[in-house]
Amino acid sequence: MSFDITLILDSLPKMLSGIGLTFQLLILSGVLGLLLAFVLLLMRLTEKWYFSVPAQVFIYVFRGTPILVQIFIIYYGLPQFEAIRESIFWPILREPFGCAILALTLNTGAYVSEILRGAVLAVDRGLLEAGSALGLSRNQRFIYITSPLAIRLGIPPYSNDVISLLKSTALASTITIFDMMGIARTIVAETYAPYEIFISLAIIYMIFTFFIQKGFGYFENFMSRHVKK
Amino acid sequence: MNILNKKLLISFTALMLTVVSPASAEKLRVGMECTYAPFNFKTADGVLSGYDVDVSKGVAEILGLELEYVCQKWDGMIPALLANKFDLIIASMSITDKRKKKIDFSGPYRDSVGQMVARKDLGRDLFDSAGKPDPAAFKGIKVGLERATTYSDWFEQTLPSAKVVLYDSNEALYLDLMNGRTDVIMTNPMKAHLKFLSKDGNDGFELAGPVIDDVDYFGVGVGIGLRQGQEELRDNLTGALKTLIKNGSLKEYALKYFPFQIHNDKWAD
Repeated sequence: MSFDITLILDSLPKMLSGIGLTFQLLILSGVLGLLLAFVLLLMRLTEKWYFSVPAQVFIYVFRGTPILVQIFIIYYGLPQFEAIRESIFWPILREPFGCAILALTLNTGAYVSEILRGAVLAVDRGLLEAGSALGLSRNQRFIYITSPLAIRLGIPPYSNDVISLLKSTALASTITIFDMMGIARTIVAETYAPYEIFISLAIIYMIFTFFIQKGFGYFENFMSRHVKK
Repeated sequence: MNILNKKLLISFTALMLTVVSPASAEKLRVGMECTYAPFNFKTADGVLSGYDVDVSKGVAEILGLELEYVCQKWDGMIPALLANKFDLIIASMSITDKRKKKIDFSGPYRDSVGQMVARKDLGRDLFDSAGKPDPAAFKGIKVGLERATTYSDWFEQTLPSAKVVLYDSNEALYLDLMNGRTDVIMTNPMKAHLKFLSKDGNDGFELAGPVIDDVDYFGVGVGIGLRQGQEELRDNLTGALKTLIKNGSLKEYALKYFPFQIHNDKWAD
């Protein structure tokens, strides 16, 4: 089989025209997901069952089901209910983009909250005891001692999740979104050349991932600047 | 049946004798969606049936072929044929010039047309009095189409003012039309009737405008697809289809699902 270079050169700009949408999916659901994760974290850290149990159930549900299933339930499932179609959420849920953002946010929020919890729990107890010996309140200890250390500890697993979120955005193409994956699939369906097109697309995603990795690397260095040897 | 058993036995022994021989010439794999009622679909008890399946069996009987069925999503159908995942496409695929660049087709065995389905309360006349689609009326209308079908080609060229949304499956088209995400869809009217319009609770929708049979886009009809460079097989398939038209089998297959035949008798000439 021959490898059609001109076809790649022709379709690269077309696929790259979807980069904005892929980016929007990544950034929006990444930021919203992080906020959600933070709320879930606080809910889990309180010792009140009526906060921590719902958070645990939420995390279990969204980690326990495939993201593709979540996307399909939100996109195809919810509008089956008349009440949803008449609710104030319909303008968002009517659009595939809104559905994709919602699904990705809920999913990544569940994962990231566990990353954050792991990082918080990994902070040495002795430091917190020292803090309380110095007369710092519970909130002060959380802000001045736990947070900076937990952020540093959380960066490597968190960067992992951002990279996997980037790849999850490709699933949005299944609900008619014209991101890079959606464009690639349409080109493949028209040219019948899956090999060339998908390989080029894979390389684009890898370049993306490289920059995300580098970015988090710098951030990690910055956060560890006091512990450098 | 006996002949078939004998053939099976012979080809089986032949296979046993030459363990690493390439697949016997008589056994061909057929690709289809298996979800495209009433043309190729699985019944509730998992039996593959439909018009395409009947045609494939009719052809196999005439040519003495043994068939094995492979289910394949529509947008990967031609790549899968080219990648040798199966040998024939009998999946209601219209014969078009664009597809002919990559694969070969037998003669046609079914009509290939499109028609739109719209909400009844759309409140716009999409077609003029002569039954031609009016590009101005389609402005801002959301149209649901299946990715890489003849319908999406036709729409892009004929009515670029419409906002096209591409779907991966026929079911998704109906779902989003019902959900109000699209205003109009275009698909095969036979299928839209059977799978959507005739079902309970869908009386808010109707076939809109006339049947569209633009030969430039929809081709002469639906044929059997095969890899290029197999002229003998292609001519045999065409011959077998002509026989099926002449002996009335093709009409018989159609009447199982529709109140009318869905081929042109001239194709047998």
